[in-house]
Amino acid sequence: MPKFGRRSKIIIISLVCILLLAMGGILFPVDEPEVSLPAEEVFSIGGFEITNTMLAAWLSILVLGGVCYAATRKMKLVPRGLQNVVEAAVEALLNFVEGAAGKEYGRKFFPLVATIFLFVIANAWLGLIPGFMSIGFWQTGEEDKFIEPLFRGANTDINVPLALALVSFVFVEYWGIRSQGFFRYMKKFINVRPLFHSLGQVFRGKIRSGLGGMVTGIIGAFAGFIEMLSELIRVVSFTFRLFGNMTAGELLLLVMIFLIPWVAAIPFYGLELFLGFVQALIFGGLTLVFLMIAVTPVEEH
Amino acid sequence: MDPETMKLLAAGIAMGLGAIGPGIGVGILGRGAMEALGRNPEARGAIMTNMILVIAFCEAIAIYALIVAIILLFVI
Repeated sequence: MPKFGRRSKIIIISLVCILLLAMGGILFPVDEPEVSLPAEEVFSIGGFEITNTMLAAWLSILVLGGVCYAATRKMKLVPRGLQNVVEAAVEALLNFVEGAAGKEYGRKFFPLVATIFLFVIANAWLGLIPGFMSIGFWQTGEEDKFIEPLFRGANTDINVPLALALVSFVFVEYWGIRSQGFFRYMKKFINVRPLFHSLGQVFRGKIRSGLGGMVTGIIGAFAGFIEMLSELIRVVSFTFRLFGNMTAGELLLLVMIFLIPWVAAIPFYGLELFLGFVQALIFGGLTLVFLMIAVTPVEEH
Repeated sequence: MDPETMKLLAAGIAMGLGAIGPGIGVGILGRGAMEALGRNPEARGAIMTNMILVIAFCEAIAIYALIVAIILLFVI
């Protein structure tokens, strides 16, 4: 029998462990997951319901604040340990934002974009910790008992992505108005000056150029209106992108754990980690792109 | 056909048909990005960043279809 190297021993032992876990999971089945899209209420304070996703969002705020506080307690010039990790993350985010927006605007946009990124990624990754959907209160449903979870990933409640999308929308408009002035920014959406100019031309007697200008003016005004609609639709699109990805991921994990407990969820955990990071990057990155579009002045022909 | 069967069928059709467009779209995007990367490997950072952003736009459409399917299965 050939000598087994250390590496193949590790592979064989891990394969045997996975096989045992899979058999154990199939022999002792798991209850079918009870899926409810709206977040369930844990307790209420005077009529205001506190849902389990709200608790998870508060937990992620505490975790983010705690990590930052612990990293900046005794700051050294040459960072070590936790301060090093947090500094690396902040520097990576700053490079991303400044690389896309330039130095001056990058510094101004950095707090908003980095906060959105960190909040979404904290929500997504904390939702993967074991215990997040499994620890809860027993409830009796129609036929059997099921668990109403105490914590649930905060991005799976549609209110959290909606709130983030509204914040992003408000800031995009605020930065656009602040950098270009209210009327110049609104001229992008309410584009009626060429139309009135052409009407004036028609009344003054230059019929042909006036009519041609009127047609272009009407098309321009319509295009401005569509621009305004697309700004509003952006809120819906942000919301559903984040909510859909996170809910689909959570459902996928639940179903996979139900099918083959312990084992089948391993590759999907990896997928969920990656997807959480990508969705956070996309939310922050798209906010950054729309901020940049809002502050670049429209050139006049 | 009773409503239960129709709900299941509708969920499947919604997700299935709704994934055709974004799938083709992301493929076309990837092709553009690969061609650009092949022509100009130095611009890798800008190409990859923009590709990820636009893929997110495209993917969102498929997610809308997924939301409709989930609502059909679990809410209605």
